Amino acid sequence: MSEVMAIASGTWQRILRMQVVYFLVLCVLILIGSAYRYDVLSLGMHKNLMVDVSLVLNSIAAILIAVSITFEIPREIREGVASTLLSKPLGRTHYIVGKLVGISVSGIVITLLIALGFCLVFSTAFDKVGMSMIQGHLLVVASVIPMSAVGVLFAVFVPDSLAAILTALVIWLGHSASITTIPVLYGGIIPDFNLFNLKAEASYGYTIQWGYVGLVILWGISFAVFLTSISTLIFNKKDLK
Amino acid sequence: MGNVIEINGLTKHYGSWFWKQQIPALDQLTIDIPEGAIFGFLGPNGAGKTTTIRLLMDLIRPTAGSALVLGMPPSDVKTKAKIGYLPDSPAFSSYLSAYEFLNICSKLLGIPSKIRKDRIAEVFEIVTMTKHANSKLGGFSRGMLQRIGIAQAILNKPRLLILDEPLVGLDPLGRQELKDIIMKQKADGANVFFCSHILSDVEKICDHLGILFEGRLLCSGKVEDLLSETGSRILVKPGNEAIAKQLMPEATGSIKLPDGAWELVFSAADGLEDLIAGLDEKHPGKLQITPSRENLEDFFFRKIDNEKKLQ
Repeated sequence: MSEVMAIASGTWQRILRMQVVYFLVLCVLILIGSAYRYDVLSLGMHKNLMVDVSLVLNSIAAILIAVSITFEIPREIREGVASTLLSKPLGRTHYIVGKLVGISVSGIVITLLIALGFCLVFSTAFDKVGMSMIQGHLLVVASVIPMSAVGVLFAVFVPDSLAAILTALVIWLGHSASITTIPVLYGGIIPDFNLFNLKAEASYGYTIQWGYVGLVILWGISFAVFLTSISTLIFNKKDLK
Repeated sequence: MGNVIEINGLTKHYGSWFWKQQIPALDQLTIDIPEGAIFGFLGPNGAGKTTTIRLLMDLIRPTAGSALVLGMPPSDVKTKAKIGYLPDSPAFSSYLSAYEFLNICSKLLGIPSKIRKDRIAEVFEIVTMTKHANSKLGGFSRGMLQRIGIAQAILNKPRLLILDEPLVGLDPLGRQELKDIIMKQKADGANVFFCSHILSDVEKICDHLGILFEGRLLCSGKVEDLLSETGSRILVKPGNEAIAKQLMPEATGSIKLPDGAWELVFSAADGLEDLIAGLDEKHPGKLQITPSRENLEDFFFRKIDNEKKLQ
């Protein structure tokens, strides 16, 4: 376990040290706050608009973080950093799990920062933050785990640019309602990321049962474990520079 | 005394499964590295040295054959705690400081947290990088990265040190320091396996060597056995210039000495012994024949040239 945490700490140190990350968080919070000014344009629905915007922007931040891992792993393999680390008593499975944990922790911290920032802005502008909003943001935070697993899967066997495109495509299809009519594809080969989407409920204040939230988080973790198993199988066969 | 590395018929072909085009990088390599040796692995670019090292570190998988490192297969993760490895062109996470990187390495190596800080300080001292401990690796020069590479390789006081081109990128002072570090590691009980292009350095520090060419092992063994008196030095006494000129085409080197004598150097070759015996008979008293030890450079080039001629 300590090996996994050593790899994970290296990954989150990298992401959490990038100043651009905090700049993005700030921009997201400004955009969320600016929804307050849209009272006329939204016909007085600016409160709902702020909740909706906060969840959309937080989801985009989660996607960007998941996609960032598709550059990290191929770069480490290409430059030989992975070889140096794997020359230590570190299994390839530990390396991949460490990378997933690292990117997930980074994503969770960043999306939590956005969620907390939203709560602060919302409670300052309107009134108390509702339970449905907390549930909505909690699922966005949790969605980082399966989305990162998609990024890790592509990162281990295709070049970084292609891995980023494929990851973004799978995440987009996973959020898209356009393929819901194909059951084998949607929720099967392509994960159903719409399970994490509580925008409508949060915007209109419908509280969901906590059992649903728990099950979705559990599904996300199970899906991440499944994809990571495939990733490690591929990575274990791979020749490293 | 056992072997620290045992390689049996190790073969590696690179290529794409899709195109079915296979490029052989290593062909049936069989070699044993005895305990207590500093083994130098030599060969021109593309000979398969780095491929061998990567196979031993389980970074790539063999097409055929097997290897044992410290008695265990290369895939055994626990054995790696006893190995120090310096890659070909060391690259580390550029956003980390040298200290942070070594801290991650020491965690991976399972160095107890109580002694971790002291051990890292100790290796920084050994590679003379203490003042750069808190600088980001991204700003380091090739030589500085090489030193950090050596630091991470010796962090666990390894039983086996595997170094891929350790002398590249270092200035003469750095090279000397690294040679001292290698000798110190050997004195502390480590076995060293390394490949290098700098033959003079290899000759100075290695006690065993192997020469690889186009994926095949040309020779291996103790340096003193391989470079033993395989050549001859013939002194043609003054006043016998005609004899010297007659011998010159066969010699690998010739020098006219101030007293008018000629010194001719003959490297090891088929028929050398017969040639010398014939000369001695033909010109009694005019020649002084002494056996000479070939240097590694001559030995290396002779082996490679012979192999090229055979192809």
